[in-house]
Amino acid sequence: MIKSHPSEAILYQYAAGDLSASMTLVVGTHIDMCPVCQQTVCDIESDLCQKHLDTVVETLTTPTAAFSGMSKATCDKMLEEIFSSEAKPSIQPEELICLEGRRFVLPRTLACNHSRIGEWTNLVGKLWRAPVNVGERGHTNLIYMEPGTQVPEHTHKGQEATLVIDGVFNDENDVYYDGDFILLDADRTHTPQTSENDCLTLATLDAPLYFTSGISRLLNPFSSLFFRV
Amino acid sequence: MQVTSERTSQRGVMNTTQQDTADKAAELLAKIAESRSRAAFSELFSHFAPKLQAYGTRQFGNEQTAMDLVQETMTNVWHKAHLFKPDRGSPSTWIFTIARNIRFDLLRKNKKRKDDISADELWPILAEQNDNLDDGYALDNDVLMQEIAHYYGQLPDAQREVVEKIYIEGKSQQEVSDSLGIPLGTVKSRTRLALKKLKELIVEHD
Ligand SMILES: [Zn+2]
Repeated sequence: MIKSHPSEAILYQYAAGDLSASMTLVVGTHIDMCPVCQQTVCDIESDLCQKHLDTVVETLTTPTAAFSGMSKATCDKMLEEIFSSEAKPSIQPEELICLEGRRFVLPRTLACNHSRIGEWTNLVGKLWRAPVNVGERGHTNLIYMEPGTQVPEHTHKGQEATLVIDGVFNDENDVYYDGDFILLDADRTHTPQTSENDCLTLATLDAPLYFTSGISRLLNPFSSLFFRV
Repeated sequence: MQVTSERTSQRGVMNTTQQDTADKAAELLAKIAESRSRAAFSELFSHFAPKLQAYGTRQFGNEQTAMDLVQETMTNVWHKAHLFKPDRGSPSTWIFTIARNIRFDLLRKNKKRKDDISADELWPILAEQNDNLDDGYALDNDVLMQEIAHYYGQLPDAQREVVEKIYIEGKSQQEVSDSLGIPLGTVKSRTRLALKKLKELIVEHD
């Protein structure tokens, strides 16, 4: 089972629409993969609805003209515009992504953003990156590690959220599998690596990486390459 | 988990009036979806517009933006009523999530960035459901069991493991998910990829 989930506070912000776009994408993709968080978010949405909509005292029998702020004329005009509007085309999810002969099926939220995924580039050795352009500041990437890959030890100025889409990786703290969501605060150091399995992750970072160990310091220019939008 | 228990108790006290209102709203949504009934929509509109307006006013502190939120939310309800699934929650929660998405877009609109992401991409509640997705796991007639046995050794480890359990040990996808400790969605996607790959192998060798 998935053992590493977003906190309830993050799920609440997700459901309320208060996270950044990139964090919403990562958390939403976790939720696609995680029945436990799906249920929690359903409950939170129902709560938010009670708070924001249901508590407004109106019933179905209230005549349209009776509520403040919207005259009968305003309502009629709005209804007319709604009836004559065109339906927006629906987003078509595109599930498959290919890299180096490997194919992955993207979870629904990520599949809906397939067109925002840029070209794969080989960073160094067996480490690959494709940017996900969510049109905002921040650095969101698909990261692919072939088996036996190590990302140089690094720390970050901001929070880093990582979601395992497919595969296994570990760092100093734990081993992570499909669906695991890992949030690292600023100033936490870690060294993600794969051993016999490969791993596709979705990662977002709100400030650049700083590589901390020995020779990797020389790689600092690489950090901007790694997490450039 | 105090928050959780509070939530449960809140939901527990949903009274008869609320239940009646929810049933009525679900009925109206069904009518809109089936027959594009303007009367049903007008009735739903008169119930939800003032609530949405109040929500919008609190969120934006601006009457005009609040009205935009009402109009855009209800426009989606009109066109997408068929996507409401009664088993997944109440009509008002569904409408709330649409309003939440519209709010997200309205808050970001003034930033006017090119190719800015939209809330519908982030919370794909209004994307059409692809019902075929779940049908892809039944073995097609042209893929014979012995051919699978012959070729599945060539699959990547992760896919082979799943195929073995489903098609050779006869486990359900849920059982495989439980026994391997991976999400059900991952089991499904690996199965789908494996079957695709097997078909290619079989065609290649024909
Ligand atoms: Zn979860």
